[in-house]
Amino acid sequence: MRTTNMNKKIAKTQLLVALMVAVALLLTPAAQAAAPGITGPTFNLTAQPAFITQPDGSFVYSWGYGCNGAPTAFAPAAISGGTCPSMQVPGPTLIVRQGQTVTVNLANNLPARAGNTSILFPGFNVTTSGGVAGLLTQEAVPATGAGCVPATACVSYTFTATTPGTRSYYSGTQGDLQVEMGMYGAIIVLPSTVPSACTSGVHATNLTAKQPNQVHAGLEGDFRLEAAAYNHPGACYDREYLFQFSEMDPRIHREAEQVATCVAAGAVTCPANMDGVATEPYVPAFFMINGRSMPDDMDGNYAPQYPHQPYNGNPHMHPGELVLLRIIGQGRWQHPFHEHGNHVRVLARDGNLIQSATNPATNLAGPLLFTTTTTPGEAIDGIFYWTGKGLNWDPYGHAPGTTSATCTPDSNGYNTGAPGAINYFEWCQDHNKPLQATPVGSVGAGGPITLPNPNIFANGAWYGGSPYLGPEATVRAVGPTGTTPPSGTVANSPTDEAGFAFMWHSHNEREITTNNIFPGGMMMMMLVDSREFVIDESF
Amino acid sequence: MAQKYARPSPGEGFTARRMGISGDIQAMTMVQKFSLLRSAHSIRPSVVLQSPTYRNEALDAPPGPEGGCKAMRKSYQVWIPIFLVCLLTAAASAQSFQVQCPTSTITHPLTGTNCDTNPLGPGCNNKSPDYTAPTYTSGQGYDANGAGHVNGAIKCQQISGGDGFATMGDGTQTYLFAFGPLSGLADMSNGLPGTQSPNVFNTAYSGTFQPGDPATTDGASQSPYSLGNPNLFAFNGAVGLAPETYTDPNTGNPVTVMNGHVDVRQIMDVGVLNGNMPAPLMAIDEDDEFFLTLTNVGQVMRPDLFEQHTVHFHGYPNASAFYDGVPDASVAINIGGSFTYYYLAPDAGTYFWHCHITPPEHLQMGMVGQIYVRPRQNRVPVGISLYGALDRQQHDLRTRCDNNDILCSNPLPAINTGATQVAGRKYAYNDGDGSTAYDVEYPIQIHGFDPNFHFVGMTFNPEGFTEMKDKYFLLNGRSYPDTIHDGPLATQSTDGAMHYSQPLSSIINIPAGGKALLRIADLDVTEHQTLASLGIPMTVIALNAKLLRDQGGNNLYYNTNSITLGGGESLDVILDASDTTKYPAGSVFYLYTPNLDHLSNDAENFGGLMTEVRIN
Repeated sequence: MRTTNMNKKIAKTQLLVALMVAVALLLTPAAQAAAPGITGPTFNLTAQPAFITQPDGSFVYSWGYGCNGAPTAFAPAAISGGTCPSMQVPGPTLIVRQGQTVTVNLANNLPARAGNTSILFPGFNVTTSGGVAGLLTQEAVPATGAGCVPATACVSYTFTATTPGTRSYYSGTQGDLQVEMGMYGAIIVLPSTVPSACTSGVHATNLTAKQPNQVHAGLEGDFRLEAAAYNHPGACYDREYLFQFSEMDPRIHREAEQVATCVAAGAVTCPANMDGVATEPYVPAFFMINGRSMPDDMDGNYAPQYPHQPYNGNPHMHPGELVLLRIIGQGRWQHPFHEHGNHVRVLARDGNLIQSATNPATNLAGPLLFTTTTTPGEAIDGIFYWTGKGLNWDPYGHAPGTTSATCTPDSNGYNTGAPGAINYFEWCQDHNKPLQATPVGSVGAGGPITLPNPNIFANGAWYGGSPYLGPEATVRAVGPTGTTPPSGTVANSPTDEAGFAFMWHSHNEREITTNNIFPGGMMMMMLVDSREFVIDESF
Repeated sequence: MAQKYARPSPGEGFTARRMGISGDIQAMTMVQKFSLLRSAHSIRPSVVLQSPTYRNEALDAPPGPEGGCKAMRKSYQVWIPIFLVCLLTAAASAQSFQVQCPTSTITHPLTGTNCDTNPLGPGCNNKSPDYTAPTYTSGQGYDANGAGHVNGAIKCQQISGGDGFATMGDGTQTYLFAFGPLSGLADMSNGLPGTQSPNVFNTAYSGTFQPGDPATTDGASQSPYSLGNPNLFAFNGAVGLAPETYTDPNTGNPVTVMNGHVDVRQIMDVGVLNGNMPAPLMAIDEDDEFFLTLTNVGQVMRPDLFEQHTVHFHGYPNASAFYDGVPDASVAINIGGSFTYYYLAPDAGTYFWHCHITPPEHLQMGMVGQIYVRPRQNRVPVGISLYGALDRQQHDLRTRCDNNDILCSNPLPAINTGATQVAGRKYAYNDGDGSTAYDVEYPIQIHGFDPNFHFVGMTFNPEGFTEMKDKYFLLNGRSYPDTIHDGPLATQSTDGAMHYSQPLSSIINIPAGGKALLRIADLDVTEHQTLASLGIPMTVIALNAKLLRDQGGNNLYYNTNSITLGGGESLDVILDASDTTKYPAGSVFYLYTPNLDHLSNDAENFGGLMTEVRIN
């Protein structure tokens, strides 16, 4: 729906968004993410309609998979308060172990005129039972009563999770409509064997760094599903996130709702099915990551204000952590997903590890991409990290005489000997290198740059207040309020977090809008946090 | 008096330069002058021509003429823009423009002698030196006199952030939000990058800048093709750079320095409406320090917008959030301000850069450009083994690449070809086997314009992002047949002056038997673009500024007839015309898009993404 006065609205909406961010942060404490889901190996799913919300206040009629009764369990265990509603977008993330026999029972509770539905599990060898034959797989007919009434309203899919990795699942019936309406999800297969390199050495030290220490008093939990994505030393990781990209054309959803809720009366006749809902021309106005648009995607997992959109997109990491990105293209369009801050090493596509012809057991061959473009139905597993290597200035603002912090390089040049230190994993070649020529705060002087007066800048909501990383460095450089009048930033305060924020977003920039409003859509802020900040992904 | 104006916040030093137009502001700066001069004096060098890193707030030139309105010189046909220009230049009097291009840093200390007479000599930081040894092996900390000296040079560039006009393939003049060049102007009108070394950058223009320069001085008088002489304007230094004179409080003698102080009128004369499409080309070498000054000159056609601008270097590994150019994550520069971005050059490759303010708007409107980084393998001395040189890089942890770093892409090649350096040979990456060698290189920036969006962008109307649809398809800012027009393309803007709006053609000239490197980047905001080669096959050697090589050292280059890029992606292609039987001198081949609807200029059914490959 077009609105007038767009330009004014942009400015106003930026204010509104900032306000909403502030309110959201008040309602739910600072929340991070992970790859939460449900475990089986038997899953009882249903397909149902519901309304999902958008940051412009829209409620969009959608279809999605959900839990038919309580699931076996939620994963990872460190995340509490997990829910699996009877309809969610994306569908529940199914988490299984390599070698398990997986059974997915689907009950069709879509509106009668939506017709049959099904699930495809690309990458697996699926056998089916129940339901009726469809074009691509067995389908479930619309249920007329609870508990598989008729019997063909339920269908079962069975397969063995032979290889690890991330894959998509989605409807195999009238896919041009049903997938667009929200019928998609992810399935994660964890490796049955994890290389010892992933649970020892620096990955073990990274876990030690999460313990309460002199830097932070709280325990930083382990929110991973596993220590490696594949049984390969190149697939070790310290943190993981799942991002599913999709779009919505509100016209299609409106027309589907009209057909579904149509009541025949007098001269009014209702269509018998959804065939009349045109899925072309396709003009999406909503662009989502894990079913939510910015800034909603940065609220917590299982946030109560999004009962049908439980998953979020709010990545955090500490310098040096290897972060596994499980990226899936759902919907109909490709999206050039650009990660600011570094490249991503693609480990695998659709669960197929890409290995070198030379010593495949140790050498990877996937490309290094700063833009990991998604393709509908395709899943990518990739590794990302941030360390500041090669920055040529000390991001902690260390200088002799201002701090006593030392940096003792390991064989790779990083300070990994002190897991309790603020500058754990600092790149030691740049230790003590000043950035600024003549700062007033107590960070190093003699650097190459003179910063202008901060009064000529506009400061962003995720600006930590100084060029430096972490509250200790920021306060030393610019004082507790940073350089952001009047009292610090909303989302990344100088005394609490002061992380380095990087935008992760679709680079089809039109897609970082919500219904013609910027900012919105497929965007999230990734925060690199110093060890002073506890990354709590428990909700 | 001190209460009226905030003191510089802690951490910012004595950096911003303010010129007041009112008595109050002038008086306040007097107070600041004394307090800052007292404390600044201890660190201020008293020798001229040194270290623009130190900026002193006390050195205010008197306000007045530089802030005046130049309405009388303008054409009567452009009343409203004149009025707006007046407003802007008046506002610009209260500005904080400056440039930074130090001649000596702790990473590249000035150790050369006779750098004034021999600026390209060793240790003068004006020329990237030969790569003969790993630059840094001790692996720990930083030593002012030894380790930490990275053997590159210093490179500088100044750009304006504002607006402008460009000419499309069907002759339409289209409004842009755009970056324009404020350094290297002569080089840019010859299709070269606008990046300069400090000895060139830190020179003041001896003439008088005309609005529209360099096009005006070159005599460009007809749009779109300049009929002037692109060699008349020969200045490559920073626009507006001017010496500053102050009184040494110790001796009472006048001291003149070149320290980044700029003359506002020069900046506004050249910078207003000088937007380029694509944005000014940048090129640096590995191991260089790069100082990029962005000066926000305001947008004449949109006085309703107090638009900030930023520069995001897309794809830089281990980027810093402060210099990443994302306004939500850091700072954005307001109208009337300058901000200098600082980076040690990232790993060699084809990157690109763009504004990150309201990206759906600013990128569609044209704030996109390319930056590429040349590999240090180019600087290996003649006769030295390339494999050996790459092996040396493995001894510096910063440049080492093996399985300990999952995000590096140029480990030693699996096969040592024995290739040695040849005089003048250039490579795209540190391949260690010579496989990315080329003879000529061409940046190609793919983009698309939605003419309706550009129209509403100029006329204050609501912008529809969901309906955005490109109708013009651009290679280096031009559509066929403009892509094969040699020389800069000039467009008349609403200030009545001709501006070189699109300095880069897309003609690919390959010497017979040679190879061309195409550095292809795409920043389209709505859809993917495909570029195909009719005749000469493409060899893709790198994706997203990383060499296509696996962790086992095997090259994963592949041959193809076309490449497809979405917004935010880049790759490197070699067109190999070695076979002079198939590709004899005098033959012409084509690069074009098999997205045949992109082979158009809006309603014109032939144009768009197409250019010629000429074997010379």
